[in-house]
Amino acid sequence: MTQNDAKSASLSARALFGLRLAALVVILLGGVILTQVPHIGTGAGFIVVGPRVFPTVIGIGVLLLGILFLLRTTFQPDRDLIAEVEAEETSTDWATIVLTFLSLVVYAALLKPLGYALATGLFFPAVARIFGSTRLGRDVIIGVILGLVIYLSFTQILGVRLPAGLLAGIL
Amino acid sequence: MDVFTNLLHGFASALTPQYLLLAALGVTLGTAIGVLPGIGPALTVALLLPLTYNFDPTGALIMFAGIYYGGMYGGSTTSILLNTPGESASVATTFEGFAMAKSGRGGAALATSAIGSFVAGTISTLLLTFVAPIIAKIALLFQPADYFSLTVLAFMSVTALVGKSFLRGMTSLFIGLFIGLIGIDVLTGQPRLTFGMPELLDGIDVVVVAVGLFAVGEALYVASQIRNTKDEILPVKKGIWMTKEEWKRSWPAWLRGTLIGFPFGALPAGGAEIPTFLSYTTEKRLSKNKEEWGHGAIEGVAGPEAANNAAFSGVLVPLLTLGLPTSATAAILLVAFQIYNLQPGPLLFQKSPDLVWALIASLYIGNVMLLILNLPLIRIWIKILEIPRTLLYAGILVFGTLGVYSMSNSFVDVMIMYAIGVLGFFMRRYGFPVGPTILGVILLPMAEAQFRRALSISQGDLSVFVTRPLSLGLLLMAVGAVLLPYVPVLIARLRRKPVESRRIVFGDGQED
Repeated sequence: MTQNDAKSASLSARALFGLRLAALVVILLGGVILTQVPHIGTGAGFIVVGPRVFPTVIGIGVLLLGILFLLRTTFQPDRDLIAEVEAEETSTDWATIVLTFLSLVVYAALLKPLGYALATGLFFPAVARIFGSTRLGRDVIIGVILGLVIYLSFTQILGVRLPAGLLAGIL
Repeated sequence: MDVFTNLLHGFASALTPQYLLLAALGVTLGTAIGVLPGIGPALTVALLLPLTYNFDPTGALIMFAGIYYGGMYGGSTTSILLNTPGESASVATTFEGFAMAKSGRGGAALATSAIGSFVAGTISTLLLTFVAPIIAKIALLFQPADYFSLTVLAFMSVTALVGKSFLRGMTSLFIGLFIGLIGIDVLTGQPRLTFGMPELLDGIDVVVVAVGLFAVGEALYVASQIRNTKDEILPVKKGIWMTKEEWKRSWPAWLRGTLIGFPFGALPAGGAEIPTFLSYTTEKRLSKNKEEWGHGAIEGVAGPEAANNAAFSGVLVPLLTLGLPTSATAAILLVAFQIYNLQPGPLLFQKSPDLVWALIASLYIGNVMLLILNLPLIRIWIKILEIPRTLLYAGILVFGTLGVYSMSNSFVDVMIMYAIGVLGFFMRRYGFPVGPTILGVILLPMAEAQFRRALSISQGDLSVFVTRPLSLGLLLMAVGAVLLPYVPVLIARLRRKPVESRRIVFGDGQED
């Protein structure tokens, strides 16, 4: 086996692993739904179709689909899908995704204490930087303007409430 | 003659300055967003929903319809110049459109798609005007059992016909059904699948799901590949117009595209994707210049673009008359109706005729506006393509967060939306279409309510779904939709020919 073969074999193993993991998550979701069903109260009085019927059916459906998908990836793997996932696997930049997600969470958490305009002014250049933008100055200016324009037009014109935060006295 | 007076009233209302302005705003916004790769009309309408709570319903819906329509027009520009479809319904346009742009005929491709969209949009709005009231009358005969079977048909046709794998489509649908279940059961007042979180008692808002799946999911997905992709915009050298020869070849393709697009849009089969591909294959088969295909045959742009726009008016037929959305964007439009306490369905035409007819009249007006926006002003839209992707997707995240946060200033809502965004990212990554999920979330309450109503009428007898002819017919159509993609394989097997592909694929199901 040449080095290239080994590389592509490990890649396809990783793609297959990812797909199986996805199937397991689906199975798990089905299990979670079904274990929640007994916690649903049936309510007073008689009704033909109670509140547990649809959750049960959907839970079983999710579980079965997950099992079928797992069987499919094990016994009759979908070549096209694996090729697609492989191609993405090679080009995927996990650091970018994780950083993007973290900055989203921080952004949401800061909306109230810092205020909408300020939080947006910070978030926009930060996430543009994570995406690979190199012009920090330009991004900061756009972010600040975006935050201010949205904040002012929403609260003053559209009548939608947004947190003022630190800039409460100024805006 | 009823229809004419109603339509005239509609025009009288739609031509007031306020509604004209909203229609213009809608089509402009829709075009801009259609031009941008990666974001489509469903997301745009979802983002704007919270902002329009204070609008009057007619004005808001006119604007939303304009966005949907504009998105359809704008999507062709990216397909032709960038080889990146703005939404799934423009995928078929990329084949010949990008080839035309490469050989320096981008102007003609843009012209045939804009004029074709106008022709198709106008004819199909005319069809909508006359067909919708008739369907609304028929729909009055529908009983709960029939409505339930109708939702089953919508679920099956969207998952079976759109997307590469039925199994993955069904999984997406069921994930949507699960999300739809969360919250208090309307009939009994029992909380379901809330995992003890009080925030989940009201259920997960469709806007939260839509923004999460479409905006955040897409942004994360693009972010994961952003350093490995480079886009090149092809310049449009000559003027945007067509030669006599190109006119002659476009006309029949527009008309055929319209005739394919409208009925397919009206059927519960996933909106505009299928008809665009059908139109593409039809034109290819009928073409006299077969050697041109792949190198920029104008029919290959004219047909699918016409089908695309005709399908939009088709989609409005089941949406307005049955309350049944057949595409993700239509599903979001349904939510818009519900926000204003309007229930689309057979009674909508009787209860709110002013709104329905103003909306239909605004479609005629919107088409004219879009023709002006997309022919003389096309160069402005091409400029939009030059916005760097980094800023574009940073902006999408800002607006996505804003859309959800502005609903109730809730941190938890935003977190749920991000979580759904992560789900959307992994669904894209592993080839699960996101369209069925949103359809599942939106249609589950209707499916469950009608199922319960039907069974309480029949006193628990399940056979009601197969003994009513209408319901039986709809269920059989659902079975047909599941089997249809396998027909060519079966035929090939019967003829003992080698099987080329496992099942036909009509689109990749990534409507956004």
